[in-house]
Amino acid sequence: MRRRSVVLSGGGGGRQLTPSSSSAGLLDETGRSAGRTVFPTDARCYRLLHEIGSGVSAVVYRAACLPLDSSPVAIKSIDLERSPAGLDDVRREAKAMALLSHPNILRAHCSFTVGSRLWVVMPFMAAGSLHSIISSSFPVGLPEPSIAVILRELLCGLSYLHAQGLVHRDIKAGNILVDSDGSVKLADFGVSASVHDSGQLSSFSSSFLSDMAGTPYWMAPEVIHSHVGYGVKADIWSFGITALELAHGRPPLSHLPPSKSLLLRLTSRLRLDDAQNYNPAGGEAEKKKKAKKKFSKAFREMVASCLSQDPSQRPSAEKLLRHPFFKGFRSPDYLVKNVLRAVPPLEERFEGPSAADGSGRWSSFSPKRRRVSGWNFCEDAFELVPVYPEESLQRVHSGEDEEREMLIKDSLFVLLGSLGVQAEMAMKVLQCHRGKEGIVERLREEREKQLLGFAGSLEKTVGDLSSELQREKKTNFELQLELERLTDKQQQ
Amino acid sequence: MKGLFKAKPRTPAELVRQTRDLLVYIDHNWNTREAKREEKMTELSRLIRELKSILYGNSEAEPVYEACAQLTQEFFRENTLRLLIICIPKLSLEARKDATQVVANLQRQQVHSRLIASDYLEANRDLLDTLIFGYENIDIALHYGAMLRECIRHQSIARYILESEHMKNFFDYIELPNFDIASDAFATFKELLTRHKSTVAEFLAKNYDWFFAEFNQNLLSSSNYITRRQAIKLLGDMLLDRSNAIVMMRYVSSKDNLIILMNLLRESSKSIQVEAFHVFKLFAANQNKPVEIVTILAANRSKLLRLLGGFKLDKGGCQFIKHA
Repeated sequence: MRRRSVVLSGGGGGRQLTPSSSSAGLLDETGRSAGRTVFPTDARCYRLLHEIGSGVSAVVYRAACLPLDSSPVAIKSIDLERSPAGLDDVRREAKAMALLSHPNILRAHCSFTVGSRLWVVMPFMAAGSLHSIISSSFPVGLPEPSIAVILRELLCGLSYLHAQGLVHRDIKAGNILVDSDGSVKLADFGVSASVHDSGQLSSFSSSFLSDMAGTPYWMAPEVIHSHVGYGVKADIWSFGITALELAHGRPPLSHLPPSKSLLLRLTSRLRLDDAQNYNPAGGEAEKKKKAKKKFSKAFREMVASCLSQDPSQRPSAEKLLRHPFFKGFRSPDYLVKNVLRAVPPLEERFEGPSAADGSGRWSSFSPKRRRVSGWNFCEDAFELVPVYPEESLQRVHSGEDEEREMLIKDSLFVLLGSLGVQAEMAMKVLQCHRGKEGIVERLREEREKQLLGFAGSLEKTVGDLSSELQREKKTNFELQLELERLTDKQQQ
Repeated sequence: MKGLFKAKPRTPAELVRQTRDLLVYIDHNWNTREAKREEKMTELSRLIRELKSILYGNSEAEPVYEACAQLTQEFFRENTLRLLIICIPKLSLEARKDATQVVANLQRQQVHSRLIASDYLEANRDLLDTLIFGYENIDIALHYGAMLRECIRHQSIARYILESEHMKNFFDYIELPNFDIASDAFATFKELLTRHKSTVAEFLAKNYDWFFAEFNQNLLSSSNYITRRQAIKLLGDMLLDRSNAIVMMRYVSSKDNLIILMNLLRESSKSIQVEAFHVFKLFAANQNKPVEIVTILAANRSKLLRLLGGFKLDKGGCQFIKHA
């Protein structure tokens, strides 16, 4: 590759650039130079060992960095062709991860592209995410002292993040990683947003981040009401939900489909026992056993304060750290002895994608197409016959499955692309025929019909929900009566 | 208010002066005793954070116009901005981030409805050179990059960089191996070529030959997927902008350009294909197509139709080709 004025020096992978006029060599905890290990930005320097997680457009591997004595790393490989986030979002995440430096925040060693994938090289957190720890070994939740250790570490990271003007927007057990020494780090800045980056002179309290992001069960009411705009306090809500998740093994309302849980969130208050009251899977006996699980008053108060409907009523991360619940906190060592010992190794927990991942199912829908193998640029003479080299036809036979998968992917993207084009066309048509009411009318009619459909389905859900609410209220009332009777008896 | 009980609350201007004194000290006495330096650095970091909270506000208070104006005026009255930029590599990571936000914010502060940052930068253009060369230093690239993007909000500053030799450096920075730095450089490059329409049109007209030669060869034909994907999108944005109509006509009249675009159409990446189509259709739609372009389009007509048919794009595209 051609390099004109960029001087490359140092660092095995040719990564380190010479500081131009600085004395960066003197730095210690500051930047990425001196004192810090430089990780190579070349895929050949890493050996992928095992898949330890996967999402819609990303896979996470345990890997070894060969030039650094095969030291363990985690590599998140993001498929940029399939990533729902635009390149700008990916850039923002990479930048956020490169500029954060805190013991409770997972920082990237480096990131670079490999074909159409982005590799983000990160420290390997041997014990995996809390979600995987809970689901493999603590299905009904962790004991309270361990929760306190984890939440305290998490708050330290969160408080740092918020001081930076960053909102994480996706706090949940699945994004909290634990290392074999019990250290806890917050990860995955896929949806994080900066309150400073948003264009105008914005300040902390008046920041308006109005796009939807996050995972439904952990989402704060004002994120759902996205027109209100939300700030760092949305993370505090998710923090509270995460506390419940750790306590009960699942977030509250998770027995409902995500969209329903969103609506319910807007109308009701969550309590600490919400998560345990609903247990669709377990039988009566198990329910009773679980209901006995007791939590301290400090813990319940702490969580309740985070789950206040009014964001301004929620304490800041800084303030939460001073809450009595975290008094006399234990060191991460405690986690090693009380949690990690019970957990199987990461590789055994993760089940890679099975062979039947549905690609066969879809293949019948995609039309077969011959790929264009080359253009004819008439460099020498007029050659009007298109060229179809033999090998491209042969490949169709040899790698049929691969081809099929590509075709599915392709057709999906084509669909996406053509939608955009159609929208553009429609706009043009509209502009040309501003006078012709007919088209406009038709479009409006169509839109209205769609809206009516939406409204209808919404109405139905609201109806369902309110009847559910009524039922709840009734039981609540009965319980209250019962309680009163009991207290009366006691007094007597 | 916190300041109420302090002996003497410092005014924004005083804060700036203290910051400047410390910067001067650190710039000149870097090799002093470590303990002493440490102490000064801590104080400096604290001051920069305080400046930041005046400009952005904090969890308790919104920024106050008068305080911001006072701070801005004092900042540009002497060489504080220069000192701060030069000292960035010596600051801790947190202080660097604060300083970056301070510098970014100052670009938008108006004093007596004037952007005095713009005047200052025009008189100190070498600072922009420093910021651009920041891309060559992995430790400060993202900080200088963010400052630079704020500076080119000023049209005259963007014009200076467009017309400087540094424009050529961006073609290398965009291909740096570190994704975070390379993509930051691209963001700046894109901003330079799209933000100020009239300046961009003027630049492209004057520098057409070398610029598009570099663009075609190093970006559109890069071996790096990200570079190609970002570049083809940017090319579309530039050519489809009405203010660049003349440049667009010139671009779509070249056979070499058409070849590059048709090769991008064949990419396995749908994102690249779709963006390439948006540029390709301009070649086909051109009313005065040169003969060689007509010839190529005619020679590949059936293949193009098949490809575009697969795209399920609009009929318009196909009609263009039938005209060819």
